[in-house]
Amino acid sequence: MQRRRELRPAPALELKTTRFAGIQIILNSAEPAALDTHISTLFAATPDFFGGEAAVFECGRLPADAAAPDWAWLVRELKSRGLNPFAVQNASNELAAAAVQAGLLVLNAATPAPMAAEPEPEAAPEPALPEPVAAPAPHIAASNTVPTRIIDKPLRSGQRVYAAGGDIVVLAAVNPGAEVIADGSIHVYAPLKGRALAGARGDVTARIFTTCLEAELVSIAGVYRTFDTALDAAVAKKPAQIRLADASQIVIEPL
Amino acid sequence: MATIITITSGKGGVGKTTTSASIASGLALRGFKTAVIDFDVGLRNLDLIMGCERRVVYDFVNVIQGDANLHQALIKDKNTDNLFVLPASQTRDKDALTEEGVEKILKELEHQGFDYIVCDSPAGIEHGAVMALTFADEAIVVTNPEVSSVRDSDRILGIIQSKSRRAIEGREPVKEHLLVTRYSPKRAHEGEMLTYTDIQELLRIPLLGVIPESEAVLHASNQGVPAIHQKDTPVADAYLDAIGRFLGETHPLRFVDHEKPGLLKRLFGGK
Repeated sequence: MQRRRELRPAPALELKTTRFAGIQIILNSAEPAALDTHISTLFAATPDFFGGEAAVFECGRLPADAAAPDWAWLVRELKSRGLNPFAVQNASNELAAAAVQAGLLVLNAATPAPMAAEPEPEAAPEPALPEPVAAPAPHIAASNTVPTRIIDKPLRSGQRVYAAGGDIVVLAAVNPGAEVIADGSIHVYAPLKGRALAGARGDVTARIFTTCLEAELVSIAGVYRTFDTALDAAVAKKPAQIRLADASQIVIEPL
Repeated sequence: MATIITITSGKGGVGKTTTSASIASGLALRGFKTAVIDFDVGLRNLDLIMGCERRVVYDFVNVIQGDANLHQALIKDKNTDNLFVLPASQTRDKDALTEEGVEKILKELEHQGFDYIVCDSPAGIEHGAVMALTFADEAIVVTNPEVSSVRDSDRILGIIQSKSRRAIEGREPVKEHLLVTRYSPKRAHEGEMLTYTDIQELLRIPLLGVIPESEAVLHASNQGVPAIHQKDTPVADAYLDAIGRFLGETHPLRFVDHEKPGLLKRLFGGK
């Protein structure tokens, strides 16, 4: 999609593909009352949790015959709580048309959507792009690969690396007090003695691999386990894989 | 070209100042013109260890603020030729250290023909410690054989890798050395302490030396004579070995193996 052109030095404008991390707002219902109640309770305790992050409405789980929610109202409500929705994805034609009316962009399916419901092909419309400004939007949908982050120096106590949108490979020790975070999976080809948090944006299929498991804490998609009690001898200080079973339980297996 | 060596640890009380005094003295004994600077503004100790506390007139902060020149503040060591001490100020706090001020003084020392400038870092990871490591060419990380000290050393290594000028400017990284102090072969052997190999495995930087735990260190501090001058003690020998290794020589590690005391030794005492 990207136009590769030999540009002269310092052009006023350049086009490059990008991919920015954002929040998915998964709509399970379009009922205004239900949405209103849930938004209130969800944000009641932590009204400042989101600092103006970009967000996308995921419509794949809405019933096929759902009426369009009041997009303008939803956007207003969420903006007042620090979330900035700018698009809808996996929306039916009817929902998409209403969203365009409310000034939202329409993204094609297959955005990085780890938690998205079973994709429904018919729910992925091919609407004409609403406005010229929509040009960058399809890039989000189109670029599915994020370069894997590779770290080849020891991660020391107090250091933290985050691989946004993808995997991370660490070729040196992760020392106690260090933190490795990835939206995808984490591979540590050395002793893992610090913390490892995979699937940081909720990807339950993310895994953690290490050649020597001595971690302080592991977490996948927010489900975590600490190791106050000794690890099973089969995996302690040995190659191991950590994954999530039934989206709720940390499983540690020897490799 | 002066080489700036920062003696640091993160944790307090592990032997940074003792090490600074002995490393600086050892380099001077080898004939290098050496300055040792106390960065612990507000908790001045190096002058006591070096035995020059009664000769402090001007200090590091006075020079930074232009109240005195470097020549007035540098104290010539009484034990070793070629060695000069720049004491810290006891009445200020670490905010008195500015990056420009520190850089100016280091440049001036280099200009005066110093071969080595040893920076005795304060404990912690705050401003004073960062100032002490900002301009480092080499760093000696002093670590005791216990987990909290090792973790703090690990943290300070991370800070060296991110906040030193060499790291920020993308030059060749600061050369790191591990110095294990207060090491007791007996307790390490019995599993009460980490062994130096455990420490090295975690920190993964080259081992400069292992300094045994010894009463000679306390004795040296009280006398105001750096431990490296306590002739024929294991501590002094271990520091002399470390200096040799620092200068590229090869010396086998000493004082790291535990030998069971023989019958005679057990009968007639001795430690």
